[in-house]
Amino acid sequence: MTAPAGRRSGRRVLSWLLALALLGVIGFVVLRDMGGREPDPPAPTVVTGVIGSEKAAFFGDERVRAAFRAHGLELRVDPAGSRQIATTVRLDGYDFAFPSSSPAADKLLAQHPVARTYAPFSSPMAVATFAPIVDLLRQAGVVAPGSTTFDVRRYLDLAAAGTRWDQLPGNTAFPARKDVLLSTTAPCQSNSAAMYLGIASYVANADGVVADRAVATRVTPAVQPLFRDQGYLPPTTEVLFEDYLSAGMGRVPMALVYEAQYLAEELSADPVLPADGQLLYPSPTIFSRHTLVPLTPAGDRVGELLTTDPQLVALVAEHGFRPTDPRAFAAAFRDRGLLEPPPLVDVVEPPSFDTLEGMLTLLGCTP
Amino acid sequence: MRRVAVAAVAALTLVAGCGGGEGSAPPVDVGPSDAPVTLRVLAGSELLDLEPVLADAGEATGVRIQLDPVGTLDGAQAVASGAVEADHDAIWFSSNRYLALQPGAQARLGTATDIMSSPVVLGLRRSVAERLGWVGRPVTWAEIAAAAGARRFTYGMTDPSASNSGFSAVVAVATALAGAGSALTLQQAESTVPALRDFFAAQTLSAGSSGFLQEAFVRRATGADPGEPVDGLINYESVLQGMNADGSLPEPLELIRPADGVVTAEYPFTVLAAAPPEARDAYRRLVEHLRTPDVQRAIAERTHRRPALPGVLPTPADTAVELPFPAQADVVDALLTSYFDKLRRPSRTIYVLDTSGSMNGDERIGALRRSLAGLAGADSSLTGQFRRFRGREQVTLLPFSSAPASPETFTVAEDDAGPDRQRIADAGAALQPGGGTAIYDSLREAYRIADEQIAADPDRFTSIVLMTDGENTSGTDLDGFRAFAGSRPAVPVFCVLFGESNAEEMEEVARLTGGRTFDARTAPLAEVFKEIRGYV
Repeated sequence: MTAPAGRRSGRRVLSWLLALALLGVIGFVVLRDMGGREPDPPAPTVVTGVIGSEKAAFFGDERVRAAFRAHGLELRVDPAGSRQIATTVRLDGYDFAFPSSSPAADKLLAQHPVARTYAPFSSPMAVATFAPIVDLLRQAGVVAPGSTTFDVRRYLDLAAAGTRWDQLPGNTAFPARKDVLLSTTAPCQSNSAAMYLGIASYVANADGVVADRAVATRVTPAVQPLFRDQGYLPPTTEVLFEDYLSAGMGRVPMALVYEAQYLAEELSADPVLPADGQLLYPSPTIFSRHTLVPLTPAGDRVGELLTTDPQLVALVAEHGFRPTDPRAFAAAFRDRGLLEPPPLVDVVEPPSFDTLEGMLTLLGCTP
Repeated sequence: MRRVAVAAVAALTLVAGCGGGEGSAPPVDVGPSDAPVTLRVLAGSELLDLEPVLADAGEATGVRIQLDPVGTLDGAQAVASGAVEADHDAIWFSSNRYLALQPGAQARLGTATDIMSSPVVLGLRRSVAERLGWVGRPVTWAEIAAAAGARRFTYGMTDPSASNSGFSAVVAVATALAGAGSALTLQQAESTVPALRDFFAAQTLSAGSSGFLQEAFVRRATGADPGEPVDGLINYESVLQGMNADGSLPEPLELIRPADGVVTAEYPFTVLAAAPPEARDAYRRLVEHLRTPDVQRAIAERTHRRPALPGVLPTPADTAVELPFPAQADVVDALLTSYFDKLRRPSRTIYVLDTSGSMNGDERIGALRRSLAGLAGADSSLTGQFRRFRGREQVTLLPFSSAPASPETFTVAEDDAGPDRQRIADAGAALQPGGGTAIYDSLREAYRIADEQIAADPDRFTSIVLMTDGENTSGTDLDGFRAFAGSRPAVPVFCVLFGESNAEEMEEVARLTGGRTFDARTAPLAEVFKEIRGYV
C-alpha cells in the first residue's frame, strides 16, 4: 500500500530536482552571455597516426602526450607492423604514418608523395644478452676481447655449422643442447627481423647490400636457416624483448632487438634489466630510421615538433632512441650518471623495400 | 540483457558445434551486467581459473567478459575457418603457436598480448622421484625416456589433440630426443626411434581435458577410483604446483623440469582482426589492466603461473632451456599422426552400442552409423583427422538390444590403416534397430570380452564406450552391475547420454568404473564420439 505513495512522492522530488537543474542551466547561460566566464584554451586538434609498435611506449608516455597537448595537439596512435603500414593498412583518416624503417617509408612515399618526411630519431639493431653468454661468444671468436662488437661473419659461420651451445669448448655456464642462434621475431610480420635479414644478407653477399633479384635468390637460402631453425618466432620485438627480460637466459640467451628497447630500460626510473644483462652491437649493423610520413598538415606538425621541440627531443632520448641531435642523447645518459653508448662505425644500409619484399617472399612470407 | 543471453546461447552452440573438446566446461560471464560493451572470448578451458581476476578486471574497466571454453584443436579450427568471427571478439588460449600455423589463421588475428606463462613439466610422487634419483639434480628427457621404457614409473598426460599440455609434451620430448638443437624437421617428426616409444610406453592415464586428468589422478591416488595409482603427471608447472598447494594429494609431487628443455605456454590474449572498434578498445583496456603489477602478482598467487610483466617476481634462478617449437604445419601434423598411430601405447576400445527398437530413425541409428563412419575417416576436419581409429588400435563393436549380440573385433594396421577403418565403418552401417534394452547384461559381456583380450595382450589402454538411448528393460539391473563392478579390476566406462537415457544411472556407472559421461542430447552424437577419443 505504501509503495505507490512512496513512488509518487519520489516522482515529485524528482520533478523539483529537474526544475532546479533547469534553473541552474538557464542561470549559467545567462551569466556566460553576460561575460562572467574565463576564456577556455582552444580545443586541441586530434591527430591520428599509425606507428611501428616499438614506438607505442613512447607515444603512450603521459609526458609525451602532455608535450604535444601544450602545442594544441591531442595524439591518437594505432600500432601496426611496419611492413603492414607500407602495404596493407588503409591510410585514409590518418594524419601521419610512422614506420620503423626507411625502406618502409620510401615505399609509402612512392604511393603518397609529400613535400617532406621527418626522420627525428633512429636506433641501431643490437643484441641483448647475458654476461656468461658474452664470455662464451668471446671464446668462440664472435666477440673480440674488451669490446661490445658482435662479429656477424663469425656468428654466421658458427650457425652454418649447426653448432650447439653444449658443443662450444669449455662451456660449463650454458651447456644447452640447443643451436647457437640469435633469437629474432617473425620476419613476415616484424621490422626488426627484416633488418636482421638485411644485416645477414649483406654479410652473406660478401659485404654488399643485396640490390637485385638475382643476388636475393642466391643469398636467401643461406640465411633462411637463421629463422627456420628457431622454430616458432614471436610476432613483435616487444614480446621478444619481454621474454629476454622475464624468462632469463635459458629461454632467450641472445635476442636481436632495437638498441632503444634496452636503453629505455637502462634509463628508466625503475629498470628491470637482468643483473648480468649485456648489450652487444652487431658488426655490421643497420640503423632502423624511424621515418614519419605526413599525410595532412596536422601530421606534418607532429613530425616538425618531434624534430625541433627540445622537450620532445629530450623525451625521445629518454626512451632510448638516438635523436638527430647527438647532444640530447648524451645528456640523457649524463643526467643519470650512465655511460653513453659507443658511436657505431660499421653501419650498412638496409636493402630497398622491394628487394626486402622479394627476400621475404623467398622465405615463404605472403603479402 | 536479452542480447547478452542470445549471444551466450549462440556462443555455446558454436562451441558444441565445433566439437566438444574441453567444451564441456561451463562458460564464464563476469563484469558489470550493465557494461556498455561485452568482450566475447573463445578460450582454452584452463583459463577458467582466472574467473575472479577477470571479474575484478571487468569491474575496473567497465567491460563485461564472456569466456567460452573450447579445446585447442577445436579453437584452431574455429579461427582458421573464420567461424570464430561470427560471435567472438577475441581468443585466449595457452598458446597461439599451433593455431598460427593453420592456413589463413594468422590474418584473422589482431594484437596478441602475453599475460602469463607456464612450462609443461613432469610431476612425480616424491617417493618415486627419490627412488629414481631425480631429486636435486638435472634430469634429461633421454633419462626420463629410458626409465619409462623400463617401466620404472607411470604417468598420465592429456590427449595432444584435445589439450595444449599434452601437445607441448609431445613436441618437447620429440625435439629433445632428436637432439638436433633446432626446430624439428619433417623427417625427425616422422621418427619412431625406440626412445620415443619408450617414453610413451609408461603412460597409463590419458584424458581429453586437464581437469579430468587431475581429478582422475587424485581419485586414483586416494583410492576413490578403482585402478592403479599413477606415479606422475605431465602438465603445466602451475597446475602441478596448484595440486601440491591444495592438499588433495596423499603425497606431494616433485617437479622435474628437464634440463634439455621445456615448451612453455605463454597465454597470449589476442583480439581478432575483425573485432569492432568498441571491442578492440575494451580489449586494450583489459590487457592494460591485466598487465599492471598488482594484477600480475594476483595472477601469480592465484594460479601459480609466471607473470608476463618483467620485474613483478624475481627471475627464476633455474635457466630452463626453451625448446624450439616447429613453425611448419606439415611438421606438426606429421608429429601428431606419428604419435597417435605409431608411438603412444595402443588402445583397446569396446563400443557397447544400443540397437534397441527406440534407436529407429535417421536421427538415432543414422546418427550412430555416421558417428562410427566419422571415426573411421569420413570426418576430414582438423579434429577428425586426429581422433580417428588409430594405427594398432583394437576396436570391438558390441551391439545389443534385449541381449548382447555377437561382438566383432578389428585391429587397425599401423601403416595402411584405411582398409581396416573401412571395415569398422561397414560394420557400423550394418547395425539394425529392434528389440529391448539390456544395458547391464551387455556391459558385463563387454567386461568378459575385455578380460579375454587383456589376458591375450595386456599392454594396451583398455576402455569401454557405452551408448544407449533409453532405460534398462531386461536382464541385470544397476544393483546387479554395482555388485559386479565392485569385484573386478577397473576398465573405465565412458557413457554417452542420448535420447531418453537415464542420466543418473549413467553417472553412477561412470563413477563406479572411473569413467565419465558425455552429453549427446545437446551436442551432435558424432562430435561426442569424437570427444571421447581423447580419453581412450
